[in-house]
Amino acid sequence: MSSEIPRNTPQDSRQHPAVQIDGVAKSFSGTVALEPVWLKIRRGEFLTLLGPSGCGKTTLLNLIAGFLEADEGELFINRDLVTQVPPHQREIGIVFQNYALFPHMNVAQNVAYGLRTRRVSKAETAERVREALALVKLEDFADRRPRQLSGGQQQRVALARALVIRPRVLLLDEPFSALDRNLRTAMQVELKEIQSRLGLTTVFVTHDQSEALSMSDRIAVMSRGRIRQIGTPTEIYDQPQSRFVSTFVGDANLFSATLREKTTADAILEVGSTRLTLSTYQVDMPAPGPVTLFVRPEQCVLTDSGKPDAIPATVALSVYQGSYAELHLDCPSAEGGRVMLRVPASQALPAGASVGIALPQRGPAIYAREDDIA
Amino acid sequence: MSKRPFLGWFASPSILIAFAIAASFLAIVQYSLRAHVPGSLNPGGLTLDNFTTLWKAVYGQAFLNTVLLCFWTALFTLLIGYPLAFAMVRAKSARLRSAILLISLTPLFLGEIVRTYSWMIVLGNRGFVNAVLMQMGLIDRPIDFMFTMTGVVIALVHFTLPIVVVMLAAALSHIDRNLERAATSLGAGRVRVFATVTLPLSIPGIVAATSTAFAWTFSAFATPQMIGGGKVQTISTLVYQVGFASFNFPLAASLSLVGLLFTIAVLAIFNTGIRRLEKIGAH
Amino acid sequence: MKKTILDHALDWAGRILLTAILCFVLLPFIVVLIASFNESAILTFPPKGWSFRWYANAFEYRDFGEGLVNSLMIAAIGATIALIAGSGFAYVLNRYDFALKSLLNGVLMSPLIIPNFTIGLGLLILSAAASLPRSVWLVVAVHVIIVLPFVVRSVYVSLQNFERRYEQAAESLGAGPVHVLLTITLPLLLPGLVSGGLFAAILSFNEFTASLFVVNQRTQTLPVAMYNYVREYADPTLAAVSVIYVAVVAVMLLLVHKFFRLEKVLNVE
Repeated sequence: MSSEIPRNTPQDSRQHPAVQIDGVAKSFSGTVALEPVWLKIRRGEFLTLLGPSGCGKTTLLNLIAGFLEADEGELFINRDLVTQVPPHQREIGIVFQNYALFPHMNVAQNVAYGLRTRRVSKAETAERVREALALVKLEDFADRRPRQLSGGQQQRVALARALVIRPRVLLLDEPFSALDRNLRTAMQVELKEIQSRLGLTTVFVTHDQSEALSMSDRIAVMSRGRIRQIGTPTEIYDQPQSRFVSTFVGDANLFSATLREKTTADAILEVGSTRLTLSTYQVDMPAPGPVTLFVRPEQCVLTDSGKPDAIPATVALSVYQGSYAELHLDCPSAEGGRVMLRVPASQALPAGASVGIALPQRGPAIYAREDDIA
Repeated sequence: MSKRPFLGWFASPSILIAFAIAASFLAIVQYSLRAHVPGSLNPGGLTLDNFTTLWKAVYGQAFLNTVLLCFWTALFTLLIGYPLAFAMVRAKSARLRSAILLISLTPLFLGEIVRTYSWMIVLGNRGFVNAVLMQMGLIDRPIDFMFTMTGVVIALVHFTLPIVVVMLAAALSHIDRNLERAATSLGAGRVRVFATVTLPLSIPGIVAATSTAFAWTFSAFATPQMIGGGKVQTISTLVYQVGFASFNFPLAASLSLVGLLFTIAVLAIFNTGIRRLEKIGAH
Repeated sequence: MKKTILDHALDWAGRILLTAILCFVLLPFIVVLIASFNESAILTFPPKGWSFRWYANAFEYRDFGEGLVNSLMIAAIGATIALIAGSGFAYVLNRYDFALKSLLNGVLMSPLIIPNFTIGLGLLILSAAASLPRSVWLVVAVHVIIVLPFVVRSVYVSLQNFERRYEQAAESLGAGPVHVLLTITLPLLLPGLVSGGLFAAILSFNEFTASLFVVNQRTQTLPVAMYNYVREYADPTLAAVSVIYVAVVAVMLLLVHKFFRLEKVLNVE
């Protein structure tokens, strides 16, 4: 089966995108669910739509699948205009959150369903169902009913059912959220393996940032019906362009600061009475004035409290986490008064200890104070 | 909502039926405004006489009887139905639950005739109850159940009981048991838990059940006809009598129409009550 | 947890009350059972002797046989029509928005509050005004109108609990709307449709009041035949008929209960 699916080659990715979304928007009875969105998904790419519930990610997925009709804009799959095409003619595969395996059919019948609708011959159907079940390691389960399977097995069946029709795009709607932790990681690895082996263009919807970071080629972070930032997992984690992205993906320490001066690359700030010079990766830096300074916990370094370029703080609580300890610090300059650092467990400090927080010269970002909270 | 308009044609058979219902309603309205031509089944010209005729005492008595029957039936059905529904929902063993369910609901599927006939045998002058009481020496002459309000109410309570039990059981089974556990943990005894938590939370169900009991009693025909035997006239028995004994269909139509308007008014009041209660409710 | 004396008293009071109520529910059926085997034509308690003659009588009396055939036929046809029309309407009600939707719904549900004698009278007058014969189809029409709301409700509830994702999954796999309906929606709704249909058949089989207005000698249903019998004769033949009637309905209900669980059908879980 795998040999028949077109591989992802370098030429392909330079050609037309697998999915092209041109200004697609959707409202439900006056409430905007999705602002106009432009997005190109490359062939063979694993693209994640990441965001909190109600951010529009599921709406966008349903628009790509055709379960919803766009209010405006156009949608292309492999250069074909599909905006008005009903879902059953779009040739897409979907794995739903609860898998939606047909309860009145056994595993083989579930997998064969998409081939029967395409009037594939009996012999070929049997062969392809067998191959698809082998791909997800469920050859021996063909006669079982869905409710006789574990959650992980159900998900494999759902995947086999979606893959057997050789979809142009695979859509995944929070497929791991019903699984327990250990199984979830195993399934993520397996799915990612199958996806890259087949070179399958995949759109993955999730609210779980660690899933998004570990599986994606690119992540589109969404909130309030808009894509806030799109980029590789590294870009999203290391260079968040807005306060929302910085706090939604990964842990963030935020300080209230004043931007005094800025040059092309450098910025001079005051955090409380501490004066800092930083160079940031940002495309847009806010104008001088009150700003929010963002830095990842692992970039903060613990130093003595007296140092001139260190932000003073006091240990409030040390939380043991096994390989490391989380130090929660009371810090008057921090937004919300708290900062979190990770230190080796052996270096945990008692509550009440005075410390200083040193920031690296590269890494932190500066956001306008009124930048959204959502 | 779906985007496939052609499946909307699934509604067409029911649209036809809706037209039949509307047409029969209009037929009643139209007949109620026509004069009765004695000896002819065809109605005469337009008139309001039918409605003025309804002011006669015999029709007023039928209205009064109907309302009284509705009241007493609803009251006793609730008093009997609530414990039954409670026992059914709260039965600890599944067998007991199933047994109560089957016993209390089977009559729902037996129709009015079988049940009314059975009560005629139970309540008749030489029926079961009187025979037993006389043999025990408790009474010398039979108690009159037949052709009395009491007899009709007893049979009607039996008739409306299953539907009331279904509705009360539905309401009781939707009460979160943790609310009762919370009350118990706060020191309330069983009686207090019931009076302060369970009963208040089931009031919307009680009101809904009462309104259904009313509608069923109002609609009942076989029971007042057979047990009332012409001595307890209700709107239903009178409509039948006016229609099929004197063939005065215009008058029967106007009587039904007034009865229907009365039912709608009463049910509307109940509905408003239920809505108000649901607003106050736990949701 | 230790029970107090009050708890014990409450438990016993509850048990006695429950037994008394269940006796009240069952009493008429037990009495009718005894009466059906009573030897003499005049009802007396306790019976002086036992006999099967009223059962023999019941089987010989032609109106009951014909009434039973009529009732079964009308229930079968009526329930089928109601099931088709009702489930179609429930589907549209669940899936579409259109002008006059609530009006249509209101009219179709109105038999729940319109007394049966009014429905019977209305169709009788309508058929007279339209010069239609009082045929068996008039009786079927009355029954369809009366049982339709119950079918619509039961199918609508099944549809509301129906997981739309199954249909979407089928669509994504290339199934068109009709194919989805036939291979996914209908098979999954089948239990709801079957119980709705059986429910409709039982209700139709029992319907008496509205039927009384629209039947004639040829089309009379079993309940109407029973009513006419009791007006003319006072012997316990009808007790025998009632016992058979109760037995048949009880068996039907047990079947429904076994396959679908009554609690679910009646939503008292």
